[in-house]
Amino acid sequence: MAAMEGVATAGAQDQQQQPPPARAAERLNPAVQQQLNLDSVKTRAISLFKAISRILEDFDTIARTNAVPKWQDILGQFSMVNLELYNIVEDIKNVSKAFVVHPKNVNAENATILPVMLSSKLLPEMEMDDNNKREQLLHGMQSLPVAAQIEKLKTRIDMIGAACESAEKIIADARKAYFGTRQGPTLLPTIDKVQAAKIQEQENSLRSAVNHGEGLRIPGDQRQVTSSLPMHLVDVLTANDNAQTFSDSSGMYQKSTPPLLSSTNNNSQGSLLQAAGAQLIGRPAASPSGATGSTSFDNTTASPLQYANSPRSGANIMNTPSPQQQQPQQQLQQHQHQQRQKMMQLPPHQQQLLSQQQLRPSSMPGLGQNQLPQLHDMASQTQQKFQSMHGQHHVQFSQPLAAQQLQGRQLTSAAMHMSQNQLNQGNQLNRQLNQFSSPANSALFNAAQTTPTSQMIPNMSAMMPSQSILPRMQFGMSGGNRTLTPQNLSDQMFNMGAANAGGMMPMQQQQQHGTQGAFGNMPQSAQNLQPGMLPMQNTPQNHPNFQQQRPQNQQ
Amino acid sequence: MECVVQGIIETKHVEALEILLQGLCGVHRESLRIHELCLKSVPNLGLVSSEVRLLCDLEQPEPTWTVRHIGGAMRGAGAEQISVLVRTMAESKVSKNALRLFYALGYKLDHELLRVGFAFHVQRGAQITVTVSSINKMLKLHATDEAVPVTPGIQLVEVTAPASSENYTEVVAAVSSFCEYLAPLLHLSKPGVSTGVVPTAAAAAASLMSDGGGTAL
Repeated sequence: MAAMEGVATAGAQDQQQQPPPARAAERLNPAVQQQLNLDSVKTRAISLFKAISRILEDFDTIARTNAVPKWQDILGQFSMVNLELYNIVEDIKNVSKAFVVHPKNVNAENATILPVMLSSKLLPEMEMDDNNKREQLLHGMQSLPVAAQIEKLKTRIDMIGAACESAEKIIADARKAYFGTRQGPTLLPTIDKVQAAKIQEQENSLRSAVNHGEGLRIPGDQRQVTSSLPMHLVDVLTANDNAQTFSDSSGMYQKSTPPLLSSTNNNSQGSLLQAAGAQLIGRPAASPSGATGSTSFDNTTASPLQYANSPRSGANIMNTPSPQQQQPQQQLQQHQHQQRQKMMQLPPHQQQLLSQQQLRPSSMPGLGQNQLPQLHDMASQTQQKFQSMHGQHHVQFSQPLAAQQLQGRQLTSAAMHMSQNQLNQGNQLNRQLNQFSSPANSALFNAAQTTPTSQMIPNMSAMMPSQSILPRMQFGMSGGNRTLTPQNLSDQMFNMGAANAGGMMPMQQQQQHGTQGAFGNMPQSAQNLQPGMLPMQNTPQNHPNFQQQRPQNQQ
Repeated sequence: MECVVQGIIETKHVEALEILLQGLCGVHRESLRIHELCLKSVPNLGLVSSEVRLLCDLEQPEPTWTVRHIGGAMRGAGAEQISVLVRTMAESKVSKNALRLFYALGYKLDHELLRVGFAFHVQRGAQITVTVSSINKMLKLHATDEAVPVTPGIQLVEVTAPASSENYTEVVAAVSSFCEYLAPLLHLSKPGVSTGVVPTAAAAAASLMSDGGGTAL
């Protein structure tokens, strides 16, 4: 109200100034004029008015543009305006008794509010407020004479003042102490050099552990999963258990190959077995013993339907492949088996080659039986196999090229042929496949043979081309090549791994009666394949290889 | 993209840090228990081996999985001047099948660790997340219940804030100014740079514990 009055006064005075400038000079007491130069007041009032309107404009802009106001600046401007106003009002108060304010311009707008502005009586609510405050303040003192009331109020004020001062003192002291410890180097406790070194060392290990995984890698031979997986991993990594049960119940020869494993472990040094444990979750290192595998292979005739595109594929082919083919196949089996065991991440190629060469003579065929633990395993295995193969035999090297050539074929006809000769051809092929490609691949192939669903046919066709040349790694590789152009050998390996992964699924599902969520296509084909698989079991010819495959596929 | 700084603090000062953070952020802490699996692809998958991290949040009754890929950091003269590391990062929630999927793709488990601690989230110019956690390693594969700290006496403090290429300078400024508040207790730096402990940490922790013990927000 005082401010309003002040402004009104100034405004009124401004309006007043114009007409009676001469009169003001005459009328004003020189003393009053000394005390308050009205012109200066007017100037100040006008500047104040401009400042306030500027602030209001700023707010308008901010509101319109939805910008964030710079509160610091605005508060600064406010404080300036406030100070200026305060000064003006103070000056005028000194001489207000000499002036009379009356409105000059009364129009419709002013008429209602002017009486309120000019009145000296407080507004009703303000008056009530005033009374309440007075009541609170002079509670219990109303009866006393005014002087006593004044005394009491004074003491009260003094007490409050003293309390505030002491509080400020305490805050200042605390602040000094805090800043003293922070900024005063001489007061700081220095860290012991030895301690600092220890901490530095620990810090380095911690940072490298978090950022790069140093010190957290478990060597491969220790990567055996303990019996109890944590809750969140139980259902993520449970594929193996079902595979195990199935392989046990089927009664196929699933012989653990400790010698092979140990040999692989020996050959593959620490760097190789990164993920071995993870992938061997819950399963023994089941792999067909070399002897049985080889004998079974020798006893059975190799599948004549090795090459889907060859003219043979159409007819009932009962020719056995030449023994020469069998030999390298066995070697390949062992090779692949060893590779699978290793599951390296970044195996040194020389190491792989070395180990493979060493292990080759120790025949451990029957790749199909080897673990099909997990999909990543397959990819690594195929890659490893490929790498080793690549280095070791020129003949083998030509295989991928052949596979590439055959890639583009559409082998629907072959698939149909295959379906006609499901049992024999499929079994024979399976044997071949088991020997040379990853088990998943053979599983896929088996599944494809029994029930050439539309989903399986592309896979089958992918796998077929490789067979024409040599029943070797190509099987798996071609399977993978279907989807991607093999830019290089490694790609093929990767594809094979992927195809193998896909191939695994139907087998798994058939046996396990469970759905693996990762592959959408497979469940359907798996269902279809279920009836188809049974006849294959019954055929004695199929028995060894097929059953070899099954545990693989599950895993 | 994200801006990230890391620092270390001695375990005995963690409680003081928690009090300080609670005061700065104005929210209560969130407990943190994350099983982090770092998967690496073999070099045959693509041109270079890539790394992907799967984070499983074990704090919730139903574990939730997140996949995160950390890319290269910003380089150049400008990057060297700022005290915060700006790097590409992609993160997404995934289902629990993610692990199997990555295994199927050919990724291998490189290492795993368990983070146990707490985190604060605050909006101060940028959405800043401060995590204070002890990094634990598992001696046996996936044995999260038997994890032991890598460094028992020291915990890791990480301050991260998501950023984009347009606003990363503001985010960097926000993170830097936030880190200044933590100066009495710890120094924060880019992840590759080691800092050591702060000499004032003990005194600051003592003052925080004595004053802040009673003033719970």
